[in-house]
Amino acid sequence: MKVLVAIKRVVDFNVNIRVRGDGSGVETNNVKMSMNPFDEIAVEEAIRMREAGTAEEVVAVSIGPAQSAETIRTALAMGADRGIHVLCETQTEPLAVAKLLKAIVEKEDPGLVILGKQAIDDDCNQTGQMLSALLGWAQGAFISKLAVAGGNAEVTREVDGGLEKVSIKIPAVVTVDLRLNEPRYASLPNIMKAKKKPIDQMSPDDLGVDVAPRMKILKVEEPPKRQAGVKVENAAQLVDKLKNEAKVI
Amino acid sequence: MRVLDGLLPTCGEALAAAETLLAAARRAVEEKVSADGIIGNDALEQEQFAAHGFAWMATYVEGLRQMLGWARRLDDAGRLGELESLMLQSAFGEYLAQLYGGIALSQVEVARPRDLGVASADVHVFFKGAVKTLIYEGNTSAVRRRIAQLMTDGAFGDPGLEDETLDLVRDQFHRFVEDKVSPDAHQWHLDDELIPMAVVEQMAELGVFGLTVPEEWGGLGMGKTAMCVVTEELSRGYIGVGSLGTRSEIAAELIRLGGTTAQKEKYLPRIASGEILPTAVFTEPNTGSDLASLRARAVRDGDVYRITGNKTWITHGGRSDLMTLLVRTDGDEKGYRGLSMFLAEKPRGTDDDPFPAPGMSGGEIPVLGYRGMKEYEIAFDGFEVPADALLGGAPGQGFKQLMATFESARIQTAARAVGVAQNALELGLTYARDRKQFGKPIYEFPRVAGKLAWMAVEIMVARQMAYFAGREKDSGRRCDIEAGMAKLLAARVAWAGADNALQVHGGNGYALEFAISRVLCDARILNIFEGAAEIQAHVIVRGLLSGRN
Repeated sequence: MKVLVAIKRVVDFNVNIRVRGDGSGVETNNVKMSMNPFDEIAVEEAIRMREAGTAEEVVAVSIGPAQSAETIRTALAMGADRGIHVLCETQTEPLAVAKLLKAIVEKEDPGLVILGKQAIDDDCNQTGQMLSALLGWAQGAFISKLAVAGGNAEVTREVDGGLEKVSIKIPAVVTVDLRLNEPRYASLPNIMKAKKKPIDQMSPDDLGVDVAPRMKILKVEEPPKRQAGVKVENAAQLVDKLKNEAKVI
Repeated sequence: MRVLDGLLPTCGEALAAAETLLAAARRAVEEKVSADGIIGNDALEQEQFAAHGFAWMATYVEGLRQMLGWARRLDDAGRLGELESLMLQSAFGEYLAQLYGGIALSQVEVARPRDLGVASADVHVFFKGAVKTLIYEGNTSAVRRRIAQLMTDGAFGDPGLEDETLDLVRDQFHRFVEDKVSPDAHQWHLDDELIPMAVVEQMAELGVFGLTVPEEWGGLGMGKTAMCVVTEELSRGYIGVGSLGTRSEIAAELIRLGGTTAQKEKYLPRIASGEILPTAVFTEPNTGSDLASLRARAVRDGDVYRITGNKTWITHGGRSDLMTLLVRTDGDEKGYRGLSMFLAEKPRGTDDDPFPAPGMSGGEIPVLGYRGMKEYEIAFDGFEVPADALLGGAPGQGFKQLMATFESARIQTAARAVGVAQNALELGLTYARDRKQFGKPIYEFPRVAGKLAWMAVEIMVARQMAYFAGREKDSGRRCDIEAGMAKLLAARVAWAGADNALQVHGGNGYALEFAISRVLCDARILNIFEGAAEIQAHVIVRGLLSGRN
């Protein structure tokens, strides 16, 4: 079985996010960028499947600007076999990404698509679900456990109330949660090997997908600065303030 | 506008002026130490202060040259940001001022142009135009404060390697250290314990020990620049972790350059995989820098050599498997020509019994810092080494074989120093931002922010010098002077950084519970091992005056 992993280049999780001066979005100039942490987990899971013999090939796909190739290279250094880079300099929305992935799935014919449950930049949490709907495939979102056997994938989903175990038919789309695995570090030998692995580059046009945004971002603002609190003398004063100042009770 | 207008050309002009001043200093020092155009060793010793002052001056000028080269490369790539520009400007401002007013060889020795015999007219010519502008405006308190502001996001300036693979390497090792080294390093130090084997094994898996070993011998064949990046990141977590690779690096290079094919086949793949942990056995109780006077001897007895004598400062002596052992094989030859290098296998010891081998005994030397591998003294009394363990198969080559590895060892040590300094900087920065006094984080006080900003600037100078030496080595050029300069400067930067980061911590920095207390102890060794600062300056000046490089 072939496994397709979708990865995204995002602002590094250690960086303090700053809003651009003109309010048009988040500052990404001269900011450290890395692979979306959930996507690292997705890559790791795919590699483990190949190591366990459940998968034969791991293909890492990224959609984004030229530098996304570096992110693909990281996935290759972790152990993915080859990369596909859909070069797209403009901002892409989840639906556009899902359509592009669908086109790639149709070309590559994988048995499983693994995605991070969301990207830490826009926190959309939509792409995997949209892709599953577009493909008409089963989906398992927010999984913390995955076992593929026969024609099924047994997945454990992290839901609000606890854990939900579901058996889904493959081919399927799954999105991974934090607790699924601990991604490996790319070793020096694998980093060197990755230099020789192929990355196919293509454009949205090649895949026949219109990626024009359907939404318009009006303004991005920093969250308001937290104000200093006040100390109340007693419970009565607290209740009074909640009632009359905060007007929450 | 804090970045000076026309910064790059201004720095270019200032660098040319600094080179002119350096040339004047060279003439002056040459006059002191040579007769009829020949450098006299006695004269060089008598004029040590002036001569070493010149070595430092040359180191500063090289540092500025590398900084300007770095900034120009970033500029060409469109990545010379405000932070990098200010770092360049600050470095030029400070170093030019010290070239003009005096360079501190240590806290208590300042070498001024006059001490080198530079005529005041040459100094006046230097203090003009671009130099004057940069001295007055390059490294002002306002510049340092702005650098400090820009650093708050964890940005310490683009290292400017322009290499996607090296960026990926740095990233992976940074993460490894954050997860597996930094959280425990301080406890390892406090408990004075060996770095756990689990960590050593992970490092082996990551490929640390085979980094520069050629592919045909089971290594990765990556260059010294890659070694710098890995070493820097590992040392940023813990000097002991960054230094584990040093032993493998030296041993592998000794074997690669001086070994027989059989020795290469036998040892290189196993060193590269981390299966064999080597240790360097050179120093003796009465012989440190003066290696030619080593006394421990090896006497041929049929198929074996028997080793007798004392060795000391053997890092990782207990837990290692292979000694690169420098001893005298020719008792009649008192100098370095009588020395030979052996590849002497030994069993791995434990804390209770570090040397479970016949003819070998020894004990631990308790130390301030640089723990994690432990230091030992070893007494050999008829310790047996097979005759074919003689490196290269011919006696009398030991000193030469060792010298061939000094460039790499110094580059690697410079990178260790850069990593330790970076660790100090980050600890100081975190503390300064968290610690509130007089109603605000102490980072808002200019002298706290200024110290940390200068640390970042000088770390960048040392880093660029280490990378430069690494690139020179990778290009196959002789680089003993460049490597020496990088090591000399980086060691001072690490010590100054640790000292100042501890100062930022106030009393807490003096408490063992704070990591900076360890980093201070760790940083101190860097000015001593792999060529003490005084020896290093001497080697540099001898190289420069003899017209090498």
